[in-house]
Amino acid sequence: MKVALKIWRYDAVAGERALREYEVDAPEEATLLDCLDLVKDRVDGTLAYRKSCRMMICGSCGMRMDGAAVLACKTRMYEIAESGHVPVISAMGNLPIVKDLVVDMEPFWRKIRAVTPWLEPGYSDPGERENVVSREEMAAIHKESLCIMCGCCVSECNSMEADPDFLGPAALAKGMRFVGDARDQARVERLQAYSEPHGIWDCTRCYFCQERCPKGVDPRDAIAKLGAEAMKEGIDSDLGAKHAKWFVTSAKTTGWLRETELVPKTQGVVRSLKEIGFAMNLLRHGKVPPPIPPHVAKHVGEARALYDLVKHEGREGAQGIVQVEKPLSRLEHGESGYEEAAARGPYGPGSFARPFLPDENETEEEAGT
Amino acid sequence: MRAAIEAFDTGASVGVVSKLHPTRSHSGAAEGGINAALGNSAEDSPEQHAFDTVKGSDYLGDQDAIEILAQEAPGDIYQLEHWGCVFSRDDQGRLAQRPFGAAGSPRTVYSADITGHVLIHVLYEQVMKRMEQGGMTVHEEYFAWRLAVEDGRCVGVVCWDLLEGGLELVVGKSVVLATGGMGRIYRATTNAYACNGDGMAIALHAGLPLKDMEFMQFHPTTLYPSGVLITEGCRGEGGYLINRDGERFMARYAPKALELASRDVVSRSETTEIEAGRGVNGSVLLDLRHLGAERVLTRLPGSRELAMTFAGVDPIYDPIPVRPGAHYHMGGVETDNWGATELPGLYAAGEVACVSVHGANRLGGNSLMETITFGRRAGQAAAEAALADVGQHEVSGEELAKAERGLETLLARNEGERPWKIRDELGASMLENYGVFRYPERMERQLEVIAGLRERYERVVVEDKGSVFNTDLTQAIELGYMLDLAWCMVQAGLAREESRGAHSRPSDFPERDDERFLKHSITRWTDEGPELSYEEVRMTKWQPEVRTY
Repeated sequence: MKVALKIWRYDAVAGERALREYEVDAPEEATLLDCLDLVKDRVDGTLAYRKSCRMMICGSCGMRMDGAAVLACKTRMYEIAESGHVPVISAMGNLPIVKDLVVDMEPFWRKIRAVTPWLEPGYSDPGERENVVSREEMAAIHKESLCIMCGCCVSECNSMEADPDFLGPAALAKGMRFVGDARDQARVERLQAYSEPHGIWDCTRCYFCQERCPKGVDPRDAIAKLGAEAMKEGIDSDLGAKHAKWFVTSAKTTGWLRETELVPKTQGVVRSLKEIGFAMNLLRHGKVPPPIPPHVAKHVGEARALYDLVKHEGREGAQGIVQVEKPLSRLEHGESGYEEAAARGPYGPGSFARPFLPDENETEEEAGT
Repeated sequence: MRAAIEAFDTGASVGVVSKLHPTRSHSGAAEGGINAALGNSAEDSPEQHAFDTVKGSDYLGDQDAIEILAQEAPGDIYQLEHWGCVFSRDDQGRLAQRPFGAAGSPRTVYSADITGHVLIHVLYEQVMKRMEQGGMTVHEEYFAWRLAVEDGRCVGVVCWDLLEGGLELVVGKSVVLATGGMGRIYRATTNAYACNGDGMAIALHAGLPLKDMEFMQFHPTTLYPSGVLITEGCRGEGGYLINRDGERFMARYAPKALELASRDVVSRSETTEIEAGRGVNGSVLLDLRHLGAERVLTRLPGSRELAMTFAGVDPIYDPIPVRPGAHYHMGGVETDNWGATELPGLYAAGEVACVSVHGANRLGGNSLMETITFGRRAGQAAAEAALADVGQHEVSGEELAKAERGLETLLARNEGERPWKIRDELGASMLENYGVFRYPERMERQLEVIAGLRERYERVVVEDKGSVFNTDLTQAIELGYMLDLAWCMVQAGLAREESRGAHSRPSDFPERDDERFLKHSITRWTDEGPELSYEEVRMTKWQPEVRTY
């Protein structure tokens, strides 16, 4: 098949940027990475990009296609080429470009290093055997352990675009990998450190990291879990934490969000006074209910019951976070188009024959019919 | 990284040089697991582990080294666990262990099917910790090009800085090679683009001997058509191999072990089936359907993702098309049991090295273990030697000057051929003429092919003349490595007139010949090319027996 690509080239020495179009003849199963290889081999040897494993595990080939981060080795080109679309390939965002599709990953790793990215077991002598940790306890960090550090989440992070010092989704997910590890003894210190400015509460919850992660790590879920764990430990001095905490109190007491109290509870009385003009305006236009008398929802009992249930089941921290379930071990994960196979089942009509051992030919035929 | 950590902990100041960021290393792509006789899942012992490995090696493994591996593996696994490695657990919360090919007991510790991934990340975590403490530096995206040898000892490595451009001599009292394998010599391989045999080639050209170069392991289950690895864990979890009729053909080749026979045996069986016309599109099928969705999703999620992404097959509903592909090179730079080479100051560990624990055929799950156990040993030995050497050495930088001249010549050339065609022809011809089965006339032909390609390589042209991230340059250099190593491989294979482990000559020497060939081949580079000699296998308690599964 013919595959056409537009690639943003960048020459750091000359400081020049240019959008070039290339066309290559590729086999139908070709990925974006295969096509870049063809361009480099046969058209232009100066094209620069990173690659290594070509099987979605080394994390080298993060780049943007039509403005969204992808792993080049995971991106099949067949449908794109068939549709006649010419995708624009460019370097990842939020990181300085070195050349063409290669970015400087040092700012990325600096943030990883900032979250104390190693286990703090609280002892130096490991002893004779392994730690005993239940399957359920290990499952708590299953998603975070899948991270391949490709940088796709960081590339798309809106908060980091506004604040380059924001720790960002990859580093915070790495943080959750340790906070959620039953063997780690520095949980509280970690939660305190991650709750500082540029940490957990600076995430704007745009969910782009979740959307673009090629491995189902779901960094935004990790950040939510960190927030919940921090609050469970009483680490709530950040405005973001106070904000979230008031949401809960408000819902529990009246079943509604009480905006007029939300601001002073989050920002403090002095800062809230400055917002009075704005609040009056909202009130005048009916955007917020009058604070007095408190507006109590009819079924507030249900909100309270829900609150008690979460408490009763001990799901106040990370356990209480409803997660997007995209990790590898879920049926839903993967490319679409397998409904047909699911409908016919593994051995239904049109499926491959049931396996048999050479000496059990006859029993096999029975099983097959 | 395991060597670097141990060297640091022994007290040395350490620099890690890597042409990729360390977590991009192809060890991270290992899926199935890592072997240690913990006995968590069934009764097991280091003795049994050692015997399985000796037998798997077709008696070519050095038995003292194998015993060290089996004895020290459990302690190394516990160390990894205490560093925080995210291993899978059993019902009691202990490390879970699964069955693997040719192993007498479920011995393979794992993390679903991303074991290499969790190992590489836990090691990098420990590297970052030591970077923070000071005294460990990582030179990322530094391409190691030549070894600097002065006064009969290794004094450093000449590197090309990929990000900034420019050559640099990184000096050290000890140098540990841990550069991995060379699967890219073949067109069909599980290996990453980075696996070009760099360390073996630069050691060879520094005058060091390479051991057992003829043995390339073909993994029985690489995905058609992309060649990526589908883990042996699939068969460990109970997967079947079937031909086009649905027959579990392994019953005809290995009646007891079936799909869990040794890798060389399974790869040969598959090739025989495919050549007999019982395959599907040049492949056989790996069938996981009977395992059910739950087991596939929890134990083999990565394999499912690979099959779906690269072959459009969901293994819960359809069998996966697989075929043998070049996977692991058993040979490499000859070392002793502490990773030391014959050149003072130079050590090697992992796939680049040949201790030899794998002999003529490696068992699944033993290579990750080898990198850890012998990486640790090499790191310790290298650090101890460096610390004991208190003198100041003047390094002349002669090698750097030589490298600079070589680079100038290469970049100045504008007339000639670009490397890709030579690379593709090498890969295709090696698969055709030096694959699972080896025939004398094809091996002879391959030597001619390699000679022709080497001649063309003399005039190779690098199109990118720039200094920043010039992978056109590094890929051209890597091709040179592969051409030299391919020559060593085929020459050693032609000389080994027997069938042993991964080296199979069905037409002229179908049997193992312990009388003539129970010995290691040793290859040295001369002006006329590779030169062969032989060396005894170190045996402790196991005498060669007929090998059946």
